[in-house]
Amino acid sequence: MTIPTTAPTTPIRLVLVDDHRMFRSGVKTELVPGVTEVVGEAPDVDAAITVIRQTTPDVVLLDVHLPGGNGNGGVDVIAGCRGVQTAAGQPVRFLALSVSDAAEDVIAVIRAGARGYVTKTISGNDLMSAIRRVADGDAVFSPRLAGFVLDAFGTTAGEVAEADEELDRLSAREREVMRLIARGYQYKEVAKELFISIKTVETHVSSVLRKLQLSSRHELTAWAYGRHIL
Amino acid sequence: MSETPGTPSAASGAVPGPPRLYRSTGDKWVAGVCGGIAGHLGVSAVLVRAVMAFAIVAGPGLPVYGFLWVMTRPDTSAPGGPAAVSTHVRTMRPSQILVVVGVLAGLIGIGWGGPLGGLGSHLSFVVPVVAVAAGAFLAWSQLDDTERGRWRARSPRGKVLSIARPVIGFALTLVGVVALATQGQSLQAVTGTALAAFAVLVGAVVIAAPWVVRMWQGLQHEQTERIRATERADIAAHLHDSVLQTLALIQRRADDPATVVRLARAQERELRAWLYADPHRSEDSLATAVAAAAHEVEDDHGVPIELVVTGDRRLDPGGVALVKAAREAMLNAVRHGEPPVSTYVEIGAQGVECFVRDHGVGFDIGEIGDDRLGVRQSILGRMSRHGGTATIRRLEHGTEIALTLPPLPPVARSEPESGDPDSVAPSASLELEPPTVPPPGSTSQHAPEGAPR
Repeated sequence: MTIPTTAPTTPIRLVLVDDHRMFRSGVKTELVPGVTEVVGEAPDVDAAITVIRQTTPDVVLLDVHLPGGNGNGGVDVIAGCRGVQTAAGQPVRFLALSVSDAAEDVIAVIRAGARGYVTKTISGNDLMSAIRRVADGDAVFSPRLAGFVLDAFGTTAGEVAEADEELDRLSAREREVMRLIARGYQYKEVAKELFISIKTVETHVSSVLRKLQLSSRHELTAWAYGRHIL
Repeated sequence: MSETPGTPSAASGAVPGPPRLYRSTGDKWVAGVCGGIAGHLGVSAVLVRAVMAFAIVAGPGLPVYGFLWVMTRPDTSAPGGPAAVSTHVRTMRPSQILVVVGVLAGLIGIGWGGPLGGLGSHLSFVVPVVAVAAGAFLAWSQLDDTERGRWRARSPRGKVLSIARPVIGFALTLVGVVALATQGQSLQAVTGTALAAFAVLVGAVVIAAPWVVRMWQGLQHEQTERIRATERADIAAHLHDSVLQTLALIQRRADDPATVVRLARAQERELRAWLYADPHRSEDSLATAVAAAAHEVEDDHGVPIELVVTGDRRLDPGGVALVKAAREAMLNAVRHGEPPVSTYVEIGAQGVECFVRDHGVGFDIGEIGDDRLGVRQSILGRMSRHGGTATIRRLEHGTEIALTLPPLPPVARSEPESGDPDSVAPSASLELEPPTVPPPGSTSQHAPEGAPR
């Protein structure tokens, strides 16, 4: 993924929520000034909710494991900021950023409402484009998250949705997109592979995200524990 | 009296300090007291039992036995200790039948004026006492330390037993106590006394309840504290053995970035596996094998591999071949391609698909000479031998090797794996006789050092 050649007219307003100060400062050095602007930082759940409500940022970079709140970390932050809108009338969007790639953590924070999930080892360039995507209201899927989705929706067993609207299954196209992301393809490579536009890829990914968040058939957390039983 | 320090054959030789008397969990007729004493003193259990039986008949044995039972703990170190015991529901053993027969014989002896005939004149006293003892035995044997796990017994029969025992025991004891108290009077006459006794009991409960509750809570608290402390000690030990050692190593190798990255990556993976270990994942599965191969390549070359696996199945010969082919593909990707290297394995009902992708310049299979055994034999040949396929695609950025396997046959195959040519050596280029010596000027774009492709 590339950094946009033309920076947006207004920088993306960011809040960093992470209990490790070293990591927060590390992320700040990787952000491109002008494209993003850090308007707030918070080390725990309660401070995060306060800061987000005060600053109403475009995007919140959210650690999954945080002290405070009800003990659910990032999930509590998202729950506490429900309904908060930016000055432009958009909802505040969350990008989960974590060292943990355990299925329970990933699924929990996505189900709570995060628009994407990346691991902390992500490169600066990829992080910037992930932030841009989330700010535009698109979803950001790491290969691992795509793998979780394919696992959770049982697509490896060959279940395919009849209609795109069906919440409990992926459509054939969505499955293809998820598979390519799991294979390490970037969005533009996915688009090229499937002969569709990047925008269409983004639409499919957002649709998968919506299904992941709204589907009720899969008790996804329970699945996360039981998925490897042969 | 129960402690006889210095006995060499004590049950718990592992614990330093004087050996303690434990109740035997393996060799037991009633509660394991005699077996425990025998083990502790190093004498025959039969002898101990005979002495105890005589002591019980003669009089003082019963309280001594009861005291020992209450004051000793079951032997947890013996093979087939509590852990093994708690997995099955208690059943009547021949030895226990023998004990019951002995007790019955004793009772009959009392009734018929045998050696204990003297007691026969006090039947109204003896029978209730025996009932109370039997009830207490039933109830206590259930609450016995080792048996406590059976409160949550898995099988329905175990559950019924675990409830029935104390209930029957309690009923027996109650009847015995009432019979003892009434001593042949009519029930009517003792109602007043019973009421008074009941009132006293209620009063005692009211007074004792807060104290009991507090003690119970304190015990619970202490237990959780102890569990937490153990966990903390475990974590500390693990961190010391792994993370601290690696950090020390990293500081010493700070001038070598490649090594530092490799160390950090390996440590991260190890810690992750420890933190988020999947208890359900079996050792003998395809997903585990692929992960192990990827980690091995990562460790050897210090290039991170983004591995995603969905689904799983048992490791069959075809799976072994896929793992080896995938390992070869990942080796090629980290040696000749550019990071990031991604591996995606999808294991489903329709078969297995595996994609290994790098971001290097890429190469064409047509450009690979027939002599380059790495790709031809260890990837393409190996997969086709197992009914699968291998295709190599050149992308705009990098190369992608796709491996497929057909689904598992419905019935598990039982053929020995020794017939599998791939189980010989992991290094693919060694397993087949090379037709020619590789010429120095290779056509492969990726293999300047003549590495197997």
